[in-house]
Amino acid sequence: MSEPKIVVFACNWCSYAGADLAGTSRLKYPENVRIIRVMCSGMVNPAWVLRAFRQGADGVVIAGCHPGDCHYTVGNYYAKKRYTLLKELMKFVGFDQERFKLIWASASEGKLFAEEMTKFTEKIREMGKQEKLRRKIE
Amino acid sequence: MIYEGDFLKNVIDKLIEEGFTVYAPVKVGDYHVFKRVSKSEEADFNYINTKLSPKEIILPENEILIKYGEWIEEVPISNEKTAVVGIRACDARALKLMDRVFLEDIVDPYYKARRDNLLLIGYACDKAGDYCFCQSFGINPRGSCDVDIFVTKLDGKSFVDLVSEKGKEIAQKFELKEPVDEDVKAKEKDLDFVKSVNTEKLINRMKEAFESEYWKEVARNCISCGTCTYLCPTCYCFDIYDEGEHKGVRLRAWDSCQFPLHTLESSSHNPRPEKWQRLRNRFYDKFYAMVIRKGEIYCVGCGRCIESCPVGIDIAEVITGVK
Amino acid sequence: MIGKIREACRQVEVDAIIGYRKKEGEPREILHVFKPDEIDKITFSPLSSNNPARLLMEILPTMNKVAVIAKGCDVRAIRELVKENKIDRNKIYIIGVSCDGVVDYRKFRRAVQFRLNEIESVELDGEDLIVKANGKEQRFKFADVMSEVCKHCPNPTPKDYDVLIGEPKEGKEDFSDIEEIEKMSAEERWNYWMDIFSKCIRCHACRQVCPVCYCEECLVDPVNLAISPMTPAEEKASYPRVLGKTVNSSDNLIYHLVRVLHHAGRCARCGECERACPMELPLTKLERKLWKVVQEEFGYSPDEDIPFLSKLDMG
Repeated sequence: MSEPKIVVFACNWCSYAGADLAGTSRLKYPENVRIIRVMCSGMVNPAWVLRAFRQGADGVVIAGCHPGDCHYTVGNYYAKKRYTLLKELMKFVGFDQERFKLIWASASEGKLFAEEMTKFTEKIREMGKQEKLRRKIE
Repeated sequence: MIYEGDFLKNVIDKLIEEGFTVYAPVKVGDYHVFKRVSKSEEADFNYINTKLSPKEIILPENEILIKYGEWIEEVPISNEKTAVVGIRACDARALKLMDRVFLEDIVDPYYKARRDNLLLIGYACDKAGDYCFCQSFGINPRGSCDVDIFVTKLDGKSFVDLVSEKGKEIAQKFELKEPVDEDVKAKEKDLDFVKSVNTEKLINRMKEAFESEYWKEVARNCISCGTCTYLCPTCYCFDIYDEGEHKGVRLRAWDSCQFPLHTLESSSHNPRPEKWQRLRNRFYDKFYAMVIRKGEIYCVGCGRCIESCPVGIDIAEVITGVK
Repeated sequence: MIGKIREACRQVEVDAIIGYRKKEGEPREILHVFKPDEIDKITFSPLSSNNPARLLMEILPTMNKVAVIAKGCDVRAIRELVKENKIDRNKIYIIGVSCDGVVDYRKFRRAVQFRLNEIESVELDGEDLIVKANGKEQRFKFADVMSEVCKHCPNPTPKDYDVLIGEPKEGKEDFSDIEEIEKMSAEERWNYWMDIFSKCIRCHACRQVCPVCYCEECLVDPVNLAISPMTPAEEKASYPRVLGKTVNSSDNLIYHLVRVLHHAGRCARCGECERACPMELPLTKLERKLWKVVQEEFGYSPDEDIPFLSKLDMG
């Protein structure tokens, strides 16, 4: 089957810098991961996550700073809250909520970022293509 | 003509045999809607009227016009033989009214293709619904000339009116006999209507009342939800937009004059920013503007908007109340 | 009870009263803005189901003081709007009514054997609903025609009022029907919800009628695009759009999920969305599932003063 598409919303100050570090350290992680830089993980709207699935993403990850380390003090707490609400609803309607993940990665954790992305991509590859929320009008 | 038995159920089977795509009322939950059926057992004719009007069939809620990507691909216009079995006289008249919009002046090829291949089998009403007022517009619920065949259920048999040539062709496949006097009498039943609308001197009344405060009162409860326009068999407003960036489709979708975005112009001016203006527009479009343009009132008295309005705005009451 | 409500209206100096009046030709009750000299036209019955909070929010800016006749769920919506500074509590006078539950008008129409214009009165007698018409009467169990959401109401007696009519009652909030759905397997749940959302026609009545959905520009259907004569054409053409007007089960699901997520901790569970939906979808199930999550996972209660989505502590 064709390669899975993973969309990552990475916060500018921690996890995007972490991804950058993975890049400069030449740590390999799959090319299926497409990173979108947002200023804070707390600004990720659940509607964007659903739109990503609609446009054909097979997995979506929100990556933010560790609790207590947010550049805007409390943004990642809101991210966790919104993530929990959306995940519970996805479980309730029967969508494979394992395709949606939240990770904390700081700017120095390049290795952690690369490992998490590799693990997640493998899991999504096993799960197969996401058809449920994909756009039906072609 | 008389047919011994249930003409509606049998005609569904016959039409499916002949290769028609047949739409019939199907019970979904607690209400009926027109759906595609593959055998007559799926249809249920025990209803006053369907929740959604059959305008879905000739003006679908989503219609793909072209597909684009590297090149533009035209979508072939569907021209499969379609039949709607069990349509009421009010909805059939509504289809005629829609024809005057889409087939006069500029001909809409998508609508025309569907309409030319459409066969209508009407179904007479046994009793008037709580919100029906078709008789105010001269529509006869027990006899309609807007369909191809009109069926009235009598005791154990069906009274079949052959209205058009297409209808006569289909009817040749069935065994029909001449009606007797008591059959004709049973067909001409008077229904007990509760609602009505006063259409006397309509154009003058509407013209005088345009700037009146009456419309603000009427629209006090309105929430601009658009339910009335979506359920109405004669409302035809649509929007065309593109779905997809590099590769996608151009869609025609239902729009509603009650949505603020409907009249928003590119310059950012909106001639109907307030909801009472939009509500007033709906009444004026149906009972004034179309009367002047086409000579017909664009309401057929099906009562769907009154039944489903969440806040209880009643079109018959409102128009009767215009002084 | 109607007499007591009218008495309470007379006791206070207001510019307008939001209450219920009977529609012509049928027993249905709809909201109406009464002037102080029209108090005798105010009615109240088990059919008074609409939520006045949204109408109150709309007319309050042009008035000084408004009285509102509100049941338990209506007051929950009003309190939420007060929390979010959409209604000034000092400008309203709440006539709280302790509610026995309201009739689902669709179930009522299907159960009653008379024509709607013949019905003279609809009264509650213990556990039965009595419908009188033409000298005849019909009795049926109130629970058979009651709104689904009333069966799980946490507080039928308003928590905030200026005067209370009726005896205080205890409500019970149980999520048993949500738990029934959670027991199904993931495939079954998906099919269940896809079946429901295949009926949705995206009329957006649920959003328009909800008192808490007051955004002037909606995320999934920008009803009031914020453009000015200075907006360049490029911006207008590339306006971000989460969802278009495509109508199919999965897109309808996305619309409803986004709508419900914005109501986390704010929904008043008044059931207006379900009543407004022309296709009779069970929308309150989604809203109440979110309430279950908010209460059980986050421990939030609607009596708190801070809106849920701004609270920082997490479970």
